[in-house]
Amino acid sequence: MSKLLSPARTQVLFMGNEAIARGALEAGLNVAAGYPGTPSSEIIESLAHVARERKLYVEWSTNEKVALEVAAAASFAGLRSMCVMKQNGVNVASDFLLHLTASGTRGGLVLVTCEDPGALSSVNEGESRYFARMLEIPLLEPSSFQEAKDLTKWAFELSEAIGNVVMLRSVTRMSHASGNVICGKLPAKSRRAKFDYDGPVMDSRTGPMISTPVVAKHTLHQKKLKGVEVLFEKSPFNRYAGPAKPQLLIITSSVCFLYSQEAIKMLGLHKKVGILKLGCTWPLPPALLKKHLLKTDKILIVEEVLSFLEENVKVLAAGMLKQMGSKIFYGKIDGSLPSVGELNPDIVAAALGKIMKVKRKSLPADYTRKLQKAAALVPVREQTFCAGCPHRASFWNIHNAIALDGRKGFVCGDIGCYSMAALSPATGYHTMPTLHSMGSGTGLASGFAKLAAFGFDKPILTVCGDSTFYHAVIPALINAQHNRADITFIVLDNAGTAMTGFQPHPGLPTSALKETVPAVDIAAICAAIGAKVMISDPFDLETTSKILTSFLEDKGSVKVLILRQACALSPEKKGKKKFNVKVNDALCLGESCGCNRLCTRIFRCPALIWDRIKKKALVDEVICAGCGVCASICPQKAILKTEATV
Amino acid sequence: MTTPIKTVISQKILKKEVLEGDLCTGCGACVGLCPYQVIYHDRTVQLHTCDLENGKCYDFCPRTSTDLNELRNMLFDAGDLTPETGAVKGYYFSRATDRQLREDAQHGGTVTALMELALFEGLIDSAIVSARDQEFVQNGVVVKDEAALRKNAGSKFTVSPTVAAFNRLAATKEAGKIGVVATPCQALALAKMKLKAVKEDRGKIDQLKLVIGLYCGWAFAAQKFKELMGQNDIELESIAGMDIPAGKNSLEIYTGNGTKSFPLSDAQACIRSACNYCLDSTAEYADISVGAARFGDSWEEMRHWNQMIVRTGKGRNLIELAIKRGVLEVRNAPAESLRQLKNVAGEKKKEALKNIIRKSGSAKNLLYLDRHDPVVRRFLAK
Repeated sequence: MSKLLSPARTQVLFMGNEAIARGALEAGLNVAAGYPGTPSSEIIESLAHVARERKLYVEWSTNEKVALEVAAAASFAGLRSMCVMKQNGVNVASDFLLHLTASGTRGGLVLVTCEDPGALSSVNEGESRYFARMLEIPLLEPSSFQEAKDLTKWAFELSEAIGNVVMLRSVTRMSHASGNVICGKLPAKSRRAKFDYDGPVMDSRTGPMISTPVVAKHTLHQKKLKGVEVLFEKSPFNRYAGPAKPQLLIITSSVCFLYSQEAIKMLGLHKKVGILKLGCTWPLPPALLKKHLLKTDKILIVEEVLSFLEENVKVLAAGMLKQMGSKIFYGKIDGSLPSVGELNPDIVAAALGKIMKVKRKSLPADYTRKLQKAAALVPVREQTFCAGCPHRASFWNIHNAIALDGRKGFVCGDIGCYSMAALSPATGYHTMPTLHSMGSGTGLASGFAKLAAFGFDKPILTVCGDSTFYHAVIPALINAQHNRADITFIVLDNAGTAMTGFQPHPGLPTSALKETVPAVDIAAICAAIGAKVMISDPFDLETTSKILTSFLEDKGSVKVLILRQACALSPEKKGKKKFNVKVNDALCLGESCGCNRLCTRIFRCPALIWDRIKKKALVDEVICAGCGVCASICPQKAILKTEATV
Repeated sequence: MTTPIKTVISQKILKKEVLEGDLCTGCGACVGLCPYQVIYHDRTVQLHTCDLENGKCYDFCPRTSTDLNELRNMLFDAGDLTPETGAVKGYYFSRATDRQLREDAQHGGTVTALMELALFEGLIDSAIVSARDQEFVQNGVVVKDEAALRKNAGSKFTVSPTVAAFNRLAATKEAGKIGVVATPCQALALAKMKLKAVKEDRGKIDQLKLVIGLYCGWAFAAQKFKELMGQNDIELESIAGMDIPAGKNSLEIYTGNGTKSFPLSDAQACIRSACNYCLDSTAEYADISVGAARFGDSWEEMRHWNQMIVRTGKGRNLIELAIKRGVLEVRNAPAESLRQLKNVAGEKKKEALKNIIRKSGSAKNLLYLDRHDPVVRRFLAK
């Protein structure tokens, strides 16, 4: 049995994302949809795992907006549903979200956003708490693993109480760390779906699910949000701990609560500093805030990414100026805390120490010295593609085609492991100078290609992953085709949503629930819009290079090259080498070869190393994934590949 | 304080001086030595950056500086040297005795006949000649028999990376004796290899046993030429041959559907820019140089003859053998013909030097040439 189905009252070690999934199960979840994205992916994966036992419908949708639409349909039919994404997914879903919050919902609908402060696994430090304020929906932020479960469960009740979406925000350190959780009861009964729409237009239980009449519905929406404030005033998820009259009050939420607690302990300030921990961060409950703000004149707001909480607290305080008098606020706005990046206990302790004029007990000098000495031993590791990664071969081909063409063409990048080509330019052989959101590479390419009339004569290429293709590329590709944008569009098809852990996508014949489903063919879609389509194996350097150079010469239309080769870490490949690869010492001329170490200096697969004693190339058999591509690049043919026998 | 030593990366200066300086002849001397430089269509492309100093790519390039005097002294007898056309041991008109070969080849078929003979007699094991594919892309190919030689006979008018084929062949250990049919820039590159090869590479260049040079006024840039053909609805595949008939001031294209003639000015608009800076029209660094005969009044008679400069003892021996074996019909050329040739070759030198000065902006900067070189000094405009 999955630990997600542990019986009530047992204590289980859950990852934050599992705790959220358990909370949803305890709430009687029926439908869950999402799009993979770190740090959110494990929620849908955990739910898919128990879908059969819990009679759930779980899907990986093509993108976050569609995921929210799928979840909303379930809600309209009276079911409880959840929609899961990472921070930038909320931007994708936001168009529908705006209309959904205006029409309202029926069955509990919880939008879970797992955010990535410091962009550890993102190309942005997006912050979606502002959506809750902008769209006037409640926002909950768990600050422990137990709360992750409990708040999620309550979020469904809250959503049904107000007939609208509830947003639950987690961050990397909450989603991906683990802690003990005491389980509650899993409901025995499942709901039946039923969608009524014949009732009066203003009746959100029986009428049509539309946002009009807009002003009347908006008025109702805001009235319900006022009701949320009342619920939040008494919520056990908002708690104060500390002295009755603290010298400083910390207001915080999420994992920043844990950092704050630790910082107080580090500085020994528990008799002087109190913490108001908020689990319900929008709308802020005014009476609760007033009660705690009155305790002191100095307030530190601890939060990650933008100063959302700080702004909201200040607005409330400004409204209560007469009763409370003026306060000194510390936080991101006055620079007490950094305005970017992830926080940690040290950063919070530094800010706290400065405000409280307390010096943190410094570490023994010896310790620091030893630490620095040890740090120097850690080898420098560049960000690069894995050994055997098809992207390395793809970018090798792309680079060569651009170089041969000679017009200084470039690649508009996109989001995936292949983003590495932009993040670590040598890894992408200096081909990819732009990187934005999913699908944007194709849109940008479509735009660049129309600049010829302004004297811009470079060939434009763009890449996207297979999952990205379905997510957001199709409209941009159609745009390019329709507007005659001369682009070479390359799909780096590695047979799965590889970066987030091989979740299936519409191009594969398997669903999140491991059912057999129709695969939607990328090549057929591209051909149907009228583009010229070719398919190649990126490991076949000769063929791929020929197609690419011919595409760059073929002016005036959209050319599509689908480079198919499964990710080196994919379950079907992992641990299995296609080739045994080794360097023949007799053939490798080492430093006397004119190659100037092409294999280790330019190609740079992590499995290729330079033997400093022999002064020759060497294959690290432990790291080598056996793709055999390096055998094609050695001018001496000194790298030998032989078919591996299984 | 020590002054930091400025590292000079060969590939980088080659790029700056030659490739970006519009001097690249596309000869292929820098290609086939490493994985970094390749020829694509008729352009030299640096695929990846190489950080080696004193690279062969720079050393062998015919458009990087060379002590040409040293080169001449190494290859030729001092008494044979002329300022206009290099070393001249002998000057003749010639044609292949094989009528079919004359039909297949350009003019008198002398080059093909000499290469056939060298192969047949075992003077060389392989001949490297220029070949053209359907797409009009030129490449150097290694041939070992008469049939292959004849297939590739005829003037091409676009550059071929022939020296790259030599580099590749010479790198294999069992290349044997190699003969190359070379344009002036290619012959210069091969001569530079002899001068500059480092000890470890001696064995490679020593395999070069024969260079037959081709007279060359200029070559077309492939792209521009293709465009010209495209504008005139000439399918590239249909082109069987080309010529610039003496005294006609036009370019003739021989296709399956007959001959098409272009004013020379149209053709000259397609010239590869590097050719404007070349001083050598008679392949001065070859063993024997061969061109179209220019004599008398009748083009129809002339067009099946070649003119030929014998430059080295090795060249002389080959011609004598060709006469002895009866593969070549050789006539002594009148002094007036050589005088005319020198005149034309000298004019080309003067024109190229003017172009070089226009490019560099100073008579003191002759780009790849040394202004103190006696030949250069002779043709510098006063």
